[in-house]
Amino acid sequence: MAFYAVYILEAHPTDIWTMQSNVKDNVLFASPKNDQERENVANACVRKLGIKFPAIVDGFDNTTEKAYTGWPDRLYLISSDGKVLYKSKPGPFGFKPDQLEGAIKKLPEVRAAK
Amino acid sequence: MRKPSRKTVVVVAVVLLVLWGSFLVLINWAMRQPPEMFGRVMMHVPMPAFFVLPFETLWNQARVGTVQVGDAAPDFRLPTLDHKEQVELSALRGKPVVLVFGSYT
Repeated sequence: MAFYAVYILEAHPTDIWTMQSNVKDNVLFASPKNDQERENVANACVRKLGIKFPAIVDGFDNTTEKAYTGWPDRLYLISSDGKVLYKSKPGPFGFKPDQLEGAIKKLPEVRAAK
Repeated sequence: MRKPSRKTVVVVAVVLLVLWGSFLVLINWAMRQPPEMFGRVMMHVPMPAFFVLPFETLWNQARVGTVQVGDAAPDFRLPTLDHKEQVELSALRGKPVVLVFGSYT
């Protein structure tokens, strides 16, 4: 199985809609203005949050985010033949890793391995 | 203190209902705009105002998206953060894939 963190546009940049929780945690970034700035924030995100699986970065045109309606955060499980098996509700309310875990446990590949 | 007349109560109730409905329409519209536009609207909305709306229900409807369970996952080709490779979803056929969309803030 492959896991990818898809880094997309920021949810609460300082120039648009700052959350007090981000101020408290000093997670303060302005909206990236180009691909390089986006990569810089993505690097900080991966490093500080300790994300262990590979991160891929959506283009500045947000094509992948738009295709998947991924903003502000969302989980997907894609089957081995390329079909959507699980799609969470939109974050933050719908971002539920336990539901994803349940969907993963139902995969034929996982059940067969038990 | 003088008890307000029935007419006054009705007028106040109607005004509050119209204000609430207008707020509902505004937020529902904003949720269906691109993220940056949504954020620019929401930055002017005080946090307590969220509690007078069924915010989560509206959000789930606004962000339901076009891809549904059972659909073919849209293909993409994106670089890894370390630029060591390009990841193409269609090239990963043969194994399940988990995608975690998100950002830092």
